[in-house]
Amino acid sequence: MPPIVKVSKLDKYFGRLHVLKSLSIKVESKEVICIIGRSGSGKSTLLRCINFLEEPSAGVIEVDGIKVEGGEKGGRHRQLVHDVRLKTGMVFQEFNLFPHMTVLDNVIEGPVTVKKMDRSKAVELGEMNLERVGLSQKRDEYPNRLSGGQKQRVAIARALAMEPRVMLFDEPTSALDPELIGEVLNVMKKLAKEGMTMLVVTHEMGFAKEVADRVVVMADGEIVEESSPAQLFARPKDPRTQALIDRYRSGGQ
Amino acid sequence: MSLSAAKRKTPSKSQSELIFEAQQRKERQFRSNVGLSWGLLLILLVFLFTGEKLNLGIKLIHLDWDFIRANIGFISSGVGVTFYLSILSIFLATLLALLAALGRLSIIPPIYALSTFYVSLIRGTPLFLQIFFFYLALPQVGINLSGLMAGVIALGLNYGAYMSEIFRAGLSSVGKGQREAAQAIGMTPTQTMTRIVLPQALRFAIPPTGNEFIAMTKDSALISATGFVHELMWRATKVGRAQFHSLEALIMAAVFYWMMTLVLSAVQSRIEARLSKGER
Repeated sequence: MPPIVKVSKLDKYFGRLHVLKSLSIKVESKEVICIIGRSGSGKSTLLRCINFLEEPSAGVIEVDGIKVEGGEKGGRHRQLVHDVRLKTGMVFQEFNLFPHMTVLDNVIEGPVTVKKMDRSKAVELGEMNLERVGLSQKRDEYPNRLSGGQKQRVAIARALAMEPRVMLFDEPTSALDPELIGEVLNVMKKLAKEGMTMLVVTHEMGFAKEVADRVVVMADGEIVEESSPAQLFARPKDPRTQALIDRYRSGGQ
Repeated sequence: MSLSAAKRKTPSKSQSELIFEAQQRKERQFRSNVGLSWGLLLILLVFLFTGEKLNLGIKLIHLDWDFIRANIGFISSGVGVTFYLSILSIFLATLLALLAALGRLSIIPPIYALSTFYVSLIRGTPLFLQIFFFYLALPQVGINLSGLMAGVIALGLNYGAYMSEIFRAGLSSVGKGQREAAQAIGMTPTQTMTRIVLPQALRFAIPPTGNEFIAMTKDSALISATGFVHELMWRATKVGRAQFHSLEALIMAAVFYWMMTLVLSAVQSRIEARLSKGER
């Protein structure tokens, strides 16, 4: 089976700053990959290049067979980017729920507006996905009435309602109070068990250890190490990985 | 009887409650004193126009009440015209302001330039001149606008330029994350704008637009200068000049303007309160 996501020789510059350096990575179907690394290592940028929230400077992004060259312009490119976005679900650190819509309307906005699905069908789909994140009873609330953890779970349901082939999580628990992190991680664990392909940028080492099939360590725009969590946490090869793990062990995260 | 039940029976208040009540009393007192002072100022103002002779040899301003009675109907029917004129103008202004604000976000140079050019030109010239331009200057090139049309276009263009800042602020109040979330679920730029950004920006812009509308009801008085729009100011100056009773006529018009702005302000603060407690 071909990989769901294939990133080849991805380069990204912000002005003169070289934030991703000819980076390549593959995500197989049903695989859960956690990307760890210090802030500024380029891990969020990598995620945002996969669904083209950041336009790659160079390189090729392939999602579920759709191949897009970075740094291109024009209508064909825009169409390909659109197709890639339909295959990827994204969850943001800051949730980014639409504050002027109810929880259910947030979830069905994509299916109705983008996929032109019948409203009644979309409502069914929306309720099903709210059920998955355990928030059916909040369907008619507005986001400002929810806790951070609930907001993030709604954001996950919103992404799932587009029925993506891969879910991208960009530090999904970093903006949450510590006591609310668990409920979001539990939803993510459930998704992983259901066989969802996931790419997770996180500082939650415990989650990486428990759920990831593969942990990728990034530093300075490059992948410095990748292996199974058991191996990585027991015998890190790169000193930068060692430093991350030490910080985690000393109670940092 | 247990001790705690006995305690609950005695209505002794905690210190924090007492402090809170004292604060509330103070606030109530302040508000009622302000209200009282307003009343006194109003009485004083009315008294100034009673025409009484005071002991010190000062005579207060005398108003001709017969003139007022005879003309109050004529002047007050300008309220509707003023309101109508302002409604038309605010619609035009809102539309132009929105377009100018969107133009300001454009990455297409001519559109961006058109927006900034419009705002700069209009804000750089007097409103009074603009009104005359549409009414007096355009006929010279064969464009004849009615006084009402000229007035509405001038007011709309003028307020549109100023209000574009309101809409720009409204658009930029919608965070980048909102656009990204919309893009991530596959929305096109147009869908993102109409479904996600504009609804939030407009909600932000409603209270300041209300303020502009109130200001506009007053600036619409300038249109009386065209001589053909029978709004409040035109009516007041017409009868005032004709019968040498501008004092009474202008005072009547002032009272009507004041009442209008008071009513509109009340409506506006109610809308504002509803929006702020709504689902933001």
